[in-house]
Amino acid sequence: MKLLRRARRRAPSPDSTDAVLLAAVADGSTEALETLHRRHAPWLRARLRYRCSDPDQLDAALQETFLAVWKNAGSFTPRPGDPDAGAWLWTIAIRQLISQLRKRANRWIADSDSEPYETIGDASAEDTVLLNIEHGPLGAALHTLSPELRSAIQATVLDGLTVREAAEILQIPEGTVKTRVMRAKARLREALT
Amino acid sequence: MSWHLTPAQVDEYVSSTVDDVTAMSVEAHLMHCPPCRSLVPADEAWLADSWADLRDIVDRPRVGLLERALTALGLRQTTARLLTATPQLYRAWLVATVVVLAAALLSAHHLPRGSLLFAFTAPVVPLVGVAVAYGRGVDPAHTLTSVTPLAGQRLLFLRSCAVLVPALVMCTAAALLMPSPTTLWNAGFWLLPSLTLVAGSLVLSRWMHLSAAGAAVGGLWVLAMVLFAATDQISVLELFAPVSQLWWAAALAALVGAIVLRVRPA
Repeated sequence: MKLLRRARRRAPSPDSTDAVLLAAVADGSTEALETLHRRHAPWLRARLRYRCSDPDQLDAALQETFLAVWKNAGSFTPRPGDPDAGAWLWTIAIRQLISQLRKRANRWIADSDSEPYETIGDASAEDTVLLNIEHGPLGAALHTLSPELRSAIQATVLDGLTVREAAEILQIPEGTVKTRVMRAKARLREALT
Repeated sequence: MSWHLTPAQVDEYVSSTVDDVTAMSVEAHLMHCPPCRSLVPADEAWLADSWADLRDIVDRPRVGLLERALTALGLRQTTARLLTATPQLYRAWLVATVVVLAAALLSAHHLPRGSLLFAFTAPVVPLVGVAVAYGRGVDPAHTLTSVTPLAGQRLLFLRSCAVLVPALVMCTAAALLMPSPTTLWNAGFWLLPSLTLVAGSLVLSRWMHLSAAGAAVGGLWVLAMVLFAATDQISVLELFAPVSQLWWAAALAALVGAIVLRVRPA
């Protein structure tokens, strides 16, 4: 029994796909978690750094992210044909960062339980276009946007946040986020047609 | 993915020297492109630190049910861990106790004068448990534990208590299941003799191995039983009569006093 379990735990190698590694993590393998950490922590950190300048909070958010992975690895369901967990990890990481920022902003308010993590599902047509930013007309169109509109688009579409979360990370009211996103999308549509 | 980032682009992104739109573009690409993600340079020192912190939390052993219950009862966490970390020392003995008590109960229900068997065994059961709770030859890790500062008196009494409590609970439960009318007297008449025997073996353990001490005291008890049965003049149950209980209590007090005196200077 024990030998069998050990044999199963040894299975994931450093080259395994994210889905395999996460399955192993759900089984309690710390080696698999280490591999995931090594593979994903650097880019998550680089990306989070664009949203938070405090290295301590950033590291805390990353640590919470991988702890959440350790606890919720079983809830990862890869999309067919795509074992990559990058998007899933990012949704966890950005939410952990928001929760870190919130903790600092109002320490006296009890932290509400975070919602279960979901992969970013079916994006709307607009979002899909935006997610495939290349050096095409969209890049130029984005350049014409004011920084405020751009950051609103970035938080809601690129980071996959809800309006409420975007309001928290941008530190502006929810209503403002909504109008900015609407205006930005209208502007982009104009520029692209 | 039809295109990939160049290492230079990734470097610029990581060092925050790109403009917002390019950053968005890079991020959108990185999210879905593992090969480009691996281009992001890893700060080895930071990575090692971060993983060490993480492993520290992840590797913490899960606290077992029994351990949590013991902590809830007010035991110190280290003590609870110590007691639950050696299940081998108790498990076999617990099973044996259940079997012996079950046999005694069975005979009490089905044999004439069968309840005498319970009267014989109940005081010895905790004694046997204590006798095999500590010492060379009983504990496979004794050579290791004996060099720790915890070894000796403290560990001996800790383990004895850990054995005594479940043993006494089980004996009481068995006594309550006896066929005779259940009164407080019937449930507890064996308690004082039992505790006295345990205390006696603990005192004796100063001069001999605890197991040997337990065997000696237990042997004395059995010998007394046989003698009583052979003489036929006084009933064995006299040993548990109220007057005898007084004697037992006095003996117990004396023995506990001896133990306390012995522990005090240590």
